[in-house]
Amino acid sequence: MLVQSQAAVIARNETWSGTVATEPHEAGWAREAIFFVRALRDATGEPGQARVELSPDGMRWVPEGTVLDLPRRADEVTFARVAHFGTWLRLSATLPDGASVVVLVTLHLKG
Amino acid sequence: MASGNPQGEGQALLAALRQGDPKLSRFDPLPRIITFDDFDRGFCGWTQLVGNYEHSLDSMLPGYAQHSMAMLSTLPQWDFGSHGSFDGTYALKLASKPRKGAQNVTVKRLTFRKRGPLRLEFYFTFKPEATALRLSEADVRSIGFLYDLQTGDRDSDGARIMPHLRFLNALDGEHVQKWQFKRHTTEVKPIGTENKTISHYHLAPQDWEDLPGGGQKLCYNEIPTKINWHYVCFDFDLETMQATGFRCNDRVFDMAGFAPIRMPAMRNLWCMLNLAFFVETDVDKRAHLYLDSVCISGDF
Repeated sequence: MLVQSQAAVIARNETWSGTVATEPHEAGWAREAIFFVRALRDATGEPGQARVELSPDGMRWVPEGTVLDLPRRADEVTFARVAHFGTWLRLSATLPDGASVVVLVTLHLKG
Repeated sequence: MASGNPQGEGQALLAALRQGDPKLSRFDPLPRIITFDDFDRGFCGWTQLVGNYEHSLDSMLPGYAQHSMAMLSTLPQWDFGSHGSFDGTYALKLASKPRKGAQNVTVKRLTFRKRGPLRLEFYFTFKPEATALRLSEADVRSIGFLYDLQTGDRDSDGARIMPHLRFLNALDGEHVQKWQFKRHTTEVKPIGTENKTISHYHLAPQDWEDLPGGGQKLCYNEIPTKINWHYVCFDFDLETMQATGFRCNDRVFDMAGFAPIRMPAMRNLWCMLNLAFFVETDVDKRAHLYLDSVCISGDF
């Protein structure tokens, strides 16, 4: 059997500012994941970092420990790799006051 | 020994083979199985319904911009763990965002080989996200399905036809529980500047009509984390572009009063056979639709 694989757009053309998070993504079938964040336009200010989060139930979230820089220029792409994450994944960020970025976030799962 | 009725014997053999297969014996497919989507095999071609756009994603209609990807789910619950699917580990899960009226749609895109009888069968269940320790039976507004069809490029009756059916579970807190259909979509709007792309939001909240005799109380179970699976069979004739049958569990509905959305044929959608499922929340809480499995069959 070939392994399962999926590319999922989990945030499309969303303006991120303040505290934000992607929707809960259930992926207990997958063994590994990569989050890609692409800026669709130049960011305003310094957007800072996003963090990968895990959950026991899709409702309560804890930091996984992996962080990635949010992209600052249009079409810049950043990413983070994650493995052994249980059932749920999401990407969360708290942007500094006055900072914002329009993002396309994709989650690539394999298992 | 020569057979007196080889066609009849062939049909009997086909029926026996299918009834002997535990995965297929819970379906009543027409002779040709077009797809049989058991989500223990993966996503089976079910993807996100992204809206049309040109040059910029900003041109996408808001109804489509909210859509996200379906997931493979074990129906995990905070209070007891994975529920599991109908007959395995995974079901296809579609989740709305946690905002009253939010919708999500998953789609499978095919084309048809012959205009004739088409049968859709699937098992489904729905629940809201279990954020509250109460029954929450009126939190999911609706679940439903639709075909997006267009006649062949040489057909004399060129048209795009979109039969819609939804189970209106609740509206503004009232536990309604009835089947509805839709014969009107929203205004068709041009997208971008090249005169090649248009868009219309056919799942807008207005223009739903009650299916005559379409009230039905479904098993919901007693806390928000327990689910029970329901069966649907929907027959549609691609030759006449009319619905010919609909049942859910033990109820068979009269489709004489049903009508699909009809609009002029579009220049690049010939023989389109798209099937979509949707879910909508009635409160600021995610609504979940689960499917396991989906079978589309035809008579050709």
